[in-house]
Amino acid sequence: MQADSHVTPDGSGETAPAGIADLQARAGLYSLLGRCLEAEADADLLHLFRGPLRGIVEELELDLGADVMDGPVDEVVERLAEEFTGLFVAPGAVLPYRSVFETGRLFQPQADLATNAYREAGFEFRNLHSGEFGDHVAVMLAFVARLLERRAGALAEGDGAAADAWEARRVRFLRFQLGPWAIGWARRARSCAQHPFYAAILDLTEQAIWTDLCQCCDEKTLRRLVKANRRPLVRPKTDPEFRKASGL
Amino acid sequence: MGIQEKFKTDRRGFLRLGASASAAGAVLASRRLSAMEQELGGADYSAVTGEKRKAVPYTCLACNIEDGGIAMIENGRIVKLEGNLDHPNTRGKLCAKGNSGFLHVYDPDRIMTPLLRTGKRGEGKWKRISYDEATSLLAEKLREVVERADAEGDHEILNEIVFKWGRNRTGGAVKRFMHALGSNAMVNHTNICESSKKVGLEPSWGPDIESCDWANTKYILNFGSNILEAAYFMNPNSQRLVDGVVGSRAKIVTFDPRLSNSAGYSHEWYAPYPGTDAAIVLAMANVIMNEGLYDADFVRDWTNVTAEQLIAHLEPYTPEFAEKESGISARDIRRIAREFATTKPATTFSYRGPVKHLWGAYQEAAIHMLNVITGNVEKKGGYCLPRGMGWPQPDPVPPKPPAPSAIAKPPLYPLASHAVSTHAPYMVMRGEAKVSVWMSYYDNPAYTYPSSHVWEAFLKDESLVPFFVSFSCFMSETTELADLIIPDVTYLERHDPESMPSGLYPCLSIRQPVIEPLGGTQEFRKTLIDVIHKVDPDGELGIRKYFQFDSVEDWMKQHFDNLPGLKEEGGYEFLKKKGVWPIYGKVDKNTAKLVDDNGNEIEPEYALYTSEIPAEEMLGAEIQEDGSIVKNGEVIGVRINERNYVGFGTPSRRIELYKEEWRKYGFNPLPVYKRLPSRDKDPGELVLTTYKVNVHTQSRTASLKYLAEMYHKNPAWMNPKRAAELGIGDGDLIRISSPLGYMVTRAHLTEGIHPEVVAISTACGHAAYGRLATLRHRDPAADWALGGDPDITNNVWWDDRGVHPNPIIRLSVDPIGGSQGWFDTVVKVTPAQAGDKYGDTVVSVEQSMKDYDETLRYAYTGDLHRANHQEVDVDWENLPEPKLTGH
Repeated sequence: MQADSHVTPDGSGETAPAGIADLQARAGLYSLLGRCLEAEADADLLHLFRGPLRGIVEELELDLGADVMDGPVDEVVERLAEEFTGLFVAPGAVLPYRSVFETGRLFQPQADLATNAYREAGFEFRNLHSGEFGDHVAVMLAFVARLLERRAGALAEGDGAAADAWEARRVRFLRFQLGPWAIGWARRARSCAQHPFYAAILDLTEQAIWTDLCQCCDEKTLRRLVKANRRPLVRPKTDPEFRKASGL
Repeated sequence: MGIQEKFKTDRRGFLRLGASASAAGAVLASRRLSAMEQELGGADYSAVTGEKRKAVPYTCLACNIEDGGIAMIENGRIVKLEGNLDHPNTRGKLCAKGNSGFLHVYDPDRIMTPLLRTGKRGEGKWKRISYDEATSLLAEKLREVVERADAEGDHEILNEIVFKWGRNRTGGAVKRFMHALGSNAMVNHTNICESSKKVGLEPSWGPDIESCDWANTKYILNFGSNILEAAYFMNPNSQRLVDGVVGSRAKIVTFDPRLSNSAGYSHEWYAPYPGTDAAIVLAMANVIMNEGLYDADFVRDWTNVTAEQLIAHLEPYTPEFAEKESGISARDIRRIAREFATTKPATTFSYRGPVKHLWGAYQEAAIHMLNVITGNVEKKGGYCLPRGMGWPQPDPVPPKPPAPSAIAKPPLYPLASHAVSTHAPYMVMRGEAKVSVWMSYYDNPAYTYPSSHVWEAFLKDESLVPFFVSFSCFMSETTELADLIIPDVTYLERHDPESMPSGLYPCLSIRQPVIEPLGGTQEFRKTLIDVIHKVDPDGELGIRKYFQFDSVEDWMKQHFDNLPGLKEEGGYEFLKKKGVWPIYGKVDKNTAKLVDDNGNEIEPEYALYTSEIPAEEMLGAEIQEDGSIVKNGEVIGVRINERNYVGFGTPSRRIELYKEEWRKYGFNPLPVYKRLPSRDKDPGELVLTTYKVNVHTQSRTASLKYLAEMYHKNPAWMNPKRAAELGIGDGDLIRISSPLGYMVTRAHLTEGIHPEVVAISTACGHAAYGRLATLRHRDPAADWALGGDPDITNNVWWDDRGVHPNPIIRLSVDPIGGSQGWFDTVVKVTPAQAGDKYGDTVVSVEQSMKDYDETLRYAYTGDLHRANHQEVDVDWENLPEPKLTGH
């Protein structure tokens, strides 16, 4: 991903067409990642990778899986649906919710924080399947995409103040809502992915978020975010004799 | 001046002043501070904002006791559960399971969307589909059976639609659904629970359980029940038991091979050989009858036997005989019999211990008889009838389908009024029943049943079960074998009418969503409506009319808004607000009794059977020779001493200690003791028993972190002396072998177990049911468990999930009550062998199939039945033919 050299942490931006195009490109990337993680792949998505995106996929040497690029569409869609469900939906999955990552439970206040942020920006979260919440990583990625689009739109209209406001909103969301968990989550999900398509998408997700965070956060903040995402394991202190002696 | 000089009072002086002041007590009590939990039950406040939390009443379903609860809601989330003080029987208390129930709602391993199998059965491969797609698929499968039955004009085909449940608290919804579809093939779980207790009681006095007046009793004989931890109505019964023992100075004597916490709480604990309760009880009855300690009037007026008959029947059952069988001394049996008969009021209580054996129904009938001969039935402080309430079913009610189902009611068990669910897979595997669609609700037989591996093999076989749908919201050992999962919501998000006889105050309660179903999930009742509407979209099949509900709420209104009494108080709206009806009074904070506004105790009604039939109802009634009062061809009461009573729920309206229906099938009509095959085991063998613990249900709670932390492993209890003989030390790895195979676990040595018994608890050793239950999953348990939740970060210190004993437990069914003999499996226990690893379980489906044949030999048509009932006066050559009787 190309870093946005026009953006500064305080949200000031450029009005040059190149800047708008860059914002739109980044919005496109976030939209793509959001789409891939939001729902099962369908024929349209496969055709996108096989057609318009084939060149860049090859250029970046992204391994999405030979079947994704060339296999029978119906079979690949079924295969990816199974992987999507096992990786993100079914019991035992690496659930893509901030609430679960941070509290071990579904639908905690993290979901409210996300939906409030959407609402403040003029978006309403609606689930299309049961069991979807506002703190889903894909919804958050899509939201970032919308913010980038809005900023690009404001710039195109010459409304610098609005553009700055959209950017400030994006930076805030990135730092306080997506940044504290999505990188660690993506890394964990990547380690459990069994199909190269999702492995690649999760790698991209981690890189995209991290690259953007590096653009808008100081060193201290980045260190804090790294720590929050790492979630280091706490090894339990087990005494092998405890079981033997206690019986119960 | 130093401080010591300034103040003349020294420390001792302060203490004396304080002591004197404290004696003043209430005079000095602050009127501005009170303990919140005492004063404000039913109200709660946000720790963050201080605002009052929303309180929503509900009925618990963490287990099956159905306690009244209040959910505290903050920002749309359940933050706390507590007891509903308006519930007259549970009185503001929840148990550990109930308090933890909200964790189910937010469990990340909850199934939040319908899943369609993509791999092989049990392979764990799924794809997400919508509720609409899922209900359409199920409807299509059901419609295929309905159309085939219609085309062939064969109602029996409809019984290929099978509904199996473990815990069905839907208030008639499942029955409505199945009857609407034309199927009788409803398979419950009751024979792995207490069905032989029910069958031991029902023909004698009507209902299937007793309701002891614990709080007012003076003497309790407890047979094989862990009242304080796990038995039916654990929460209300243990509250009242403590009231009785502490407040009423009641004595409690427990018979249990294992020192449960209830046994430990008892004044006396005896550990009989498993399955010998009836020998002890009948010996006590022998003493009571022969020493003239019985209630002669009650036996004469209210039973269908004479004292002389009983004395003759009990003659073989001397205390010395009982001592030989049970190991309990004749002297103690005599003493306890005399104490029980002469201490008034008194009661027995029993649960699974005596009845989960071959011929368990005899044991329950014997225990019940002790209360009858001592005249303790329906007395204050005695052994009372259960009190429940019914509710109307919305019209039109689908009629019972014409074709009876063998799988629902196996014809070889005509007395087993609660069916024989253990036999279902064997019957299908043997071609005795056929399945097209198998539906599973709140059920996990691949874990909870004896020889659980048989269920796994059965449900995995697509030739036997072509289509399998589960309505579970958790991935249990059974649900993971399904073709389609249409998840229900948790019990805190759905509607049901409820009434449980959990005390002496009959009441009705509601289960209602305390929050909206999480994330757009759909409650089971809505799924049933959707499926029926898709099976019969235009009503041409005549099915849709039974599900003409605008919504789930509309369905509930039709239950509650038409109930006399409740209707006048607001019906459904009243229950939504209060959770329970009627409101008897309030709970006195000091005595825990129900009191009125003046503080006077509201006593329950006793002696229900002596209610007299109003004169207007007697018009047109006839008195039969035996005293029964018959009107319009139905017995409505019994005439005794010139008075017309409603009596008990039996054909004669008396207590029928003599059960003619049992004799008809070659069973002894009076309670007897039958020596179990396990009583004649080899000296080197042990009897395997299982038990429940206070913080877990049978299978549904291992995923709850609070409970999993408290209890997650289940070593085998062994007596130290016996263990020493076998070369086993505390904590050693051991192999427990039955004819079905073996399991490898650890030994826990304790004096609190009979030397001939090895006991292993249920609830552990899950192969499924979420990460905490299994300590494994695709998302590595360590990462997950230690990553997010601070509770789990700090508290998941264990790496042991226990070992499940059910695979090595043999199928063995009581031919009368149909109950599984959980406590009849004979095992060998040895130190683990080379290569054995903790948790290893090796079992054989083929061996288990042999047990099916063996247990049928005890059914009334079997050779071992006749051999064991030579004393019964019946024409053995002309016993009734087995016949299908429906459900």
